Amino acid sequence: MRLCCSGVRLTRGRFDMIADGVFEPGIHLVSGRIGSGKSTLAHILAGVRPPAAGVVSAEGITTTGLLMQFSEYHVTAPTVAGEIRSWGPEPEAILAETGLTGREGDHPLRLSRGELRRLHLACMLAQPWDLLILDEPFSALDGRQKELLCRRLEQRPAGIVIIMTHEPLHLPACDMLWEIVQGTLMYRGRIPDALPAWDGAPSQVRSLLDRGVVPENITPAAIREARCRIRG
Amino acid sequence: MIEISALRHLILDIPLLRIPEGHCMVIGGNGAGKSTLLGLCAGMQVPLSGSVAIGGREPRSSQVGWVAEFPDRTLVFESVADEIASSLRFQHRSCAEIRREVDACAERMGISHLLSASTRELSGGERVLVALAAAIIARPLLLVLDDVDAHLDERSANAVQAAIAHSGTGHVVQSTQNMETAAAGDWIVCLEKGQVIHSGTPETVFDALAGSWLYPESWRG
Repeated sequence: MRLCCSGVRLTRGRFDMIADGVFEPGIHLVSGRIGSGKSTLAHILAGVRPPAAGVVSAEGITTTGLLMQFSEYHVTAPTVAGEIRSWGPEPEAILAETGLTGREGDHPLRLSRGELRRLHLACMLAQPWDLLILDEPFSALDGRQKELLCRRLEQRPAGIVIIMTHEPLHLPACDMLWEIVQGTLMYRGRIPDALPAWDGAPSQVRSLLDRGVVPENITPAAIREARCRIRG
Repeated sequence: MIEISALRHLILDIPLLRIPEGHCMVIGGNGAGKSTLLGLCAGMQVPLSGSVAIGGREPRSSQVGWVAEFPDRTLVFESVADEIASSLRFQHRSCAEIRREVDACAERMGISHLLSASTRELSGGERVLVALAAAIIARPLLLVLDDVDAHLDERSANAVQAAIAHSGTGHVVQSTQNMETAAAGDWIVCLEKGQVIHSGTPETVFDALAGSWLYPESWRG
């Protein structure tokens, strides 16, 4: 199974971007500054928006899940229970997992933004997707929830997971690194070998790289471990 | 000074909370009541019982700048320049002055290149920057920012914190899930299940939170 972009061109308002590359099974991190086109790329990779030019071909991919940047855009039902059913699962298990038991009759937009995010993530992760695209999945989550999400993503069965984010700290162990720089999607390579080439590395990773230390991965634990290596 | 007393409102139960002038960070888990507290300070909601006062006045009779946790909800106008200019226009300032202020504010925020864009074609992070520029341009007495850094990359988030610091606003109340950002504030209020469990300087609050998931990564030994 793989997702191929060939000669893909994205345009949206004042913005223009080109993307070429192949996404193999594993966890891919796509980093880029705000306004660099991460969300537009997510929509095109998920097939919900056609590219201005080029082709996105999904080989051996039968199911695709897309988590949009703003959770409120996902809401289609007037109750929390209805919102869960709209994704497929039965409400009880999801309510218990997200700590929202008792809120099933509330309108989803009465939840806090973090709670709504948790709800949608739980509904999505309850299903097996061949291709799972997550646009800023960590935003609005608290530190504990970010770490839980990281562990769940790492434990998912083989498939392609693409995470668009600028979360600086709570990141899962990733396999491949991509970066959008000046309107071009660049494949930086496999982690950790790709890390020294990461222009937009978060400051914690950058401070290690500047001292010639490459962490094993980009999780907080791997970064802490690498920091210990410097101190000896 | 912001003084909250005998407050009971939805999940919040706060007998007494005093926030000194400066930059106050509100922290806590999802659903702890951060947005509710911020909404009350901004005057977007009125307490069911108890009171919130900014320098002795109700939020609704004070000038408050507000950026919501759903940034789409605060964008009203079609163009970015109109959106940022709106609060000055409502004050009937002169066109020349407004144009000057808008240009200067956009430059400080690093969004000059967006002024002629439509608010509808902005990315998520850009929407936050525009909403923030619109909130700080009139130098409100109080600036309330709900999780604005969630949609920003590190460089933009640092630019935002610098712009807030130079905004000339006496009171800033900001919620964040980034504890490094929180640690740079003057004051921290930590909420849990609607109650204030800590309120004080970053040193005292994070001392009390040592070993918890809220402790800043960069402070760990």
